Formats: sequence, C-alpha cells, structure tokens
Amino acid sequence: MTQSNIPVDLILAKLAEEADKVQSRASKASEVLLDDLDTAIAKTPYEVVYQEDRVKLKHYLPRTTIRYKTPLLVTYALINRETMLDLQPGRSVVERFLDSGIDLYMIDWGYPTRKDRFLGFDDHINGYMDNIVDFIREQHKLEKINLMGICMGGTFSVIYSALHPEKIKNLVTTVTPTNFDTKKGLLHVWMEHIDVDRVVDTYGNLPADMMNLGFLLLNPARLMIDKYVGFMEHMDNKTFVENFVRMEKWIFDSPDLPGEVFRQFIKDCYQGNKLIKSELEVGGRRVDLKKLTMPLLNIYGKFDHLVPPEACEQLVEKVGSKDTEDICLETGHIGIYVSSKFQGEFAPKIAGWLKDRDHLPPKKVVRKKTAAGKKAPAV
Amino acid sequence: MNEKKQDPSDTTSRDDAWVKSMGEFWGNLAGQWLSQAQQQPWTLGGNSANPKSQATMDAALKNWQAIAGAMARPESISSLLKGSGAMPEMLLHMAQSSLGGFGEMHKKMIERLGRVGASAKAYDFQDIDENIFRIWTDIYEKEFKQFFQIPQLGLMRTYQEKANQVLDKYNFFQSTLSEFLNLLGLPFNRAMKVMQDKIGEMAENGTLPEDTKVYYNMWVKVLEGHYMTLYQTPEYVETMARTINALAEFSAARDAVLEDLLSQLPVARKSDMDDMARELYELKKRLRKLEKEQTK
Repeated sequence: MTQSNIPVDLILAKLAEEADKVQSRASKASEVLLDDLDTAIAKTPYEVVYQEDRVKLKHYLPRTTIRYKTPLLVTYALINRETMLDLQPGRSVVERFLDSGIDLYMIDWGYPTRKDRFLGFDDHINGYMDNIVDFIREQHKLEKINLMGICMGGTFSVIYSALHPEKIKNLVTTVTPTNFDTKKGLLHVWMEHIDVDRVVDTYGNLPADMMNLGFLLLNPARLMIDKYVGFMEHMDNKTFVENFVRMEKWIFDSPDLPGEVFRQFIKDCYQGNKLIKSELEVGGRRVDLKKLTMPLLNIYGKFDHLVPPEACEQLVEKVGSKDTEDICLETGHIGIYVSSKFQGEFAPKIAGWLKDRDHLPPKKVVRKKTAAGKKAPAV
Repeated sequence: MNEKKQDPSDTTSRDDAWVKSMGEFWGNLAGQWLSQAQQQPWTLGGNSANPKSQATMDAALKNWQAIAGAMARPESISSLLKGSGAMPEMLLHMAQSSLGGFGEMHKKMIERLGRVGASAKAYDFQDIDENIFRIWTDIYEKEFKQFFQIPQLGLMRTYQEKANQVLDKYNFFQSTLSEFLNLLGLPFNRAMKVMQDKIGEMAENGTLPEDTKVYYNMWVKVLEGHYMTLYQTPEYVETMARTINALAEFSAARDAVLEDLLSQLPVARKSDMDDMARELYELKKRLRKLEKEQTK
C-alpha cells in the first residue's frame, strides 16, 4: 500500500489547532471590543485662526521652539480629510513637523453641502486658498510662505503657486497628480470614460459614498476581504484594534466633493490633461507652470495605484524653477503618511529641505532625482 | 281595392305617429314652462335676483320648444327614420374601424414581444453565462424601452410621462447593474478555478501546504490579479460607465417625480434650493470682488 501524497493528517491537525486559536481569540476579542478603546484621531492641539464659510485654517500649537522663519501651510485634498496627517500620537506627520520646529498651518476644507456645488477651482484656489495665504502672510509680516500640497491639494498648490508665485517661498508636493495622461493608475483609465456632466448635473456634489465605493472597488480582494480577515485575526490585540478603527474612521469620514470641482478636475485634468501642458485656465487666467520659479520638492510613491509615479514625475521638468528635487518612496498612496517607517523618512526630509531654504536665498541647485527615499547625493 | 294593405311588420306609420306626438308633447311642455316661468314673481319687472341665469333658462326652453316643434314636422320624421335605418351599418363600420385599429396595434405589440431576443443573435450563445446580462440589457433597450415611451395624453400626461420615465430608467439601471455585478463576480469564479488547478497540481506533486493560511493567501493573490486584469478591460470600463450613467438617469427621473409631489406641499424643492444657492454664490462672489477692490 502506497502512502498518500496529501498530508491529510497534518492538514486536519492544523485545522484543529486553528479552530482552538479562533475560539481563544474570539473570547479575548469580546473583552477588547467591550473595553474602553482610544480611537480618537487628530488629537494634536490646534486653534482655528481663520474661517470663511465651511473652510477653516488650523494653526497647530508649537511643541518646541519655532526654528523656521517661514511658516508652512499644508493643503490637503478635498477628497477625505486632513486628519490623516494626525491619526494618532506617536504616528503623526503633524507631530513630526512640530517637533522639527516648523510653524504649522493646515487647511480644513470642511464638509461641502449642496449649496457648495457651484464652487469650482477658482473659488477654492483664488478664493479660499488665496485669502488664507494672505492671512498668514499678514500674521507673520512676510511676503512669502511655504506651501505643501497633498494629492489633489498638491494639484491645487501647484496651480496656486503658478498663479501667485510672489506669495510662495518654497513648494512641496506629495503624491500630487499633474500629468493625467497615463494608463498606469486605474483612476486614470476609469475617469476617461465617466460622463461627468451627467453625474454632476444629477447629484450636485459627488456623493462621498459613491467615491468610497469606487476606492474600495480599486482592489476589492485586499480592501473588502483581506483587510477584514486581518482584523479578525488580530481582534484580540487592543492596540491593533484601536489603530484599525482609527484608520476606518479616517477612510469613511469622507465629505462630498463639490460638483464644479469634480467637473473641472475630471474634464480639464483627467480627460484634458491641461495642467502639465500649461493649458489649464482658472479664474480666467492660464496656469503656466514656467511661473513656478520657487524651489520645488516633489515626493511620490512607487507603488501608488491612485496616483502612479507617471502622474507625478513630469512636474519637475515642466516648471521654471532650477531648484527641484524628486523623491520616489517605495510605498503606496497612503503609506507615505501613515506608515511609521515612511513618516520617519519623508517628514524629516521635508523639514530638512525647508530648513536649507529658510535662511539663505535659494541656491542654484542642479536637478536631483532620488529613488526609493535614499538621501540625495550632494551636488 | 287599391287600398294599400298595411304590413304588420312595417312600423313606419307607428313610428311617425309616435315621433309626432312626442314632438308635440315636448313642444307644448316647453311652451308651458316658458309661460309659467315668465309669470313667476321673481321675473316680473325685470327685477330678477339672477337675471343672467334666468335669461339662460329662457333661451334653453325656447330652443327646446323649437327643436321639439321641428321634430314633429313630417319631413323631419321621415329624415330621422331614414337615418335610423343607416345607423346600425354606420355604427358597425365605426366599431370595425376602431377594433381593427386596436387589433392592429395589439398585433404589432405582440409581434414586438415575439421578436424579443431576436436582436441578441449577434452574441455568441456559447458564452451565455457571461453574456446573458448584456443580452438582457440589449433586449430591454431594443424591445421593452419603447413601451414606456408611448406618448401620454390628457391633463395628467406630464405626470404619467415622468412616472413612465422612472420605471424605464429603473429597469435599465437594474439591467446594467446586473451586468456590472456579474462582471465583478467573474474574478471569483476564475480565482476558484485557478485554485482548483493549483491544488490539484500540488496534490499530485505531494507539495500541499499544511497551513490553511497559505491557501487563503494564495487565493487572495490570485483574486487580486484577476481583478487587476478585469479592471483594465474595455468591457469593464464601458459597463462601469454605463452603470454610473444609468444610476444618474434613474436618480434624475426619480427626483423629477418627487419634485412634482413636493410642489404640492409647503416645502422647498431641491431645484428651488439650487436656484437660491446659485444666486447666493454669485452674490457672494461679487461682494468679495468688490471688497478686494476696495482694500487695494
């Protein structure tokens, strides 16, 4: 009698072992889930120093001596919330910037309602953003401030800096789409075929639930199955559960996207790819990337499926500035901000880059390209 | 002997007499009503409480008297009876035409329903499992949709048309959604098939893992790969776009009906709020511009 190729006995033993583990885990999990969980996000103290309609300007209270002459304004996307930069104490980009001595401001776009459906690029960029920049300039008696944009907020920051270069000292863009003519990101492929007029005319604003469903569908195997299997496997671990719930809170805390912003973003950017060609018009003015003459630091993720490297890396070639740097980190769209490892790389990099350009007038620097977050070679 | 013998089945003379007497009866009655009405105290001296209604009544009675008188004349009776002989034929003709028209319409509708599915012949039925939802969407668009677009008539036509639109758009959305969900389900089927093949291969080679987690990880990876492949296909992108459009069209049709309902209630409609929001938006924009110009 020959022995079977299939180790049935071992597989059954493993299954029995797993069943015991699941039982024990479930018992502990009930204690964890019923315990007093700390799942609050965005806990770093701040003051709202300016407000216009639904838009607020947060000014974070310093944690150490301010060591920068120029304050930094962070502009997040209108998709999801800026709280991602401050998910939890000890794992917060905001904390890292404050610990570096940066005087930090951040725009909170709020929750657009139906009455905001008519607000487009012009209202957000030449309206709210410009008023906020003017407010900070006035508060600090400065001609220029530093600007950092994230994702769509980065696109806004690029447009703003091209239209108002006299007000921006240094520009930092992170996971910022500027070239939309690529088939690498699924969003780029999908958005080409969306009848944006029909959607906006029907719904007014783009409903957050529709957007969230779209993001989940980008990778259902991981985002709708594997993620929750992972949760079940670790739900007896209080710290894991707390972090998981914080992330869930952030992901599904999504405001609706103002209809006209969505219309312009899809038509002019995703379908027309006008920004990188300096053909985009905002508020009746052409956005000429050659007007971006301030130092530019451009950071993106190698495995970003939403904004692939191809969507980000052309920017430095198109701007008028001679002081530019590209950094491609080996992570995805969100990993840059929430992974402790990459936070540890990218936040100090930005702080250092700004520090280098804070005291001295901008040096003439040769264009650099740094791969996978490695330190740029000295020039 | 030349006296004409009366045919017992001939009712002409009887009818003549009956029509004549009825004409005289109604004519006399109308005359009496008229004279009585003129003698009523409320009509005397032209002091009628409601002179307009009295005048209308008088005119109606006079008309009735005139018609009854005219009907009682022998030539009218003869004409009426002549016409009455032709009436059944005329009515039959009218009924035939109407029924024929409805019958034709019904026949055409049945024919159209009978054609259902014929337009799907272009598809390969060997892949019927995968194509079935697409076929159904096409059949709906080509064969059923028209029934909801039959023009509506009358006072309520606008509302009926909108209600039909909701039904049509809902049906179309459901069929595209089924197609879309079917596509989303395909990677599961394919991943399962790949897993069966892999497990069979490993079993043959004696390399089956003992840990169930290994199987799960393998399945998730295969599933993810199939989704990525599916998402890049033109079929998926096109179906997704059509589903989003169908949802938007259904939402718009539903909103139109709800707006009609809301217009009967003392609440603002979405379109009213949108109009107001737009005005507010434009006013604020002008105000901010003026403020900026003034502070310069």
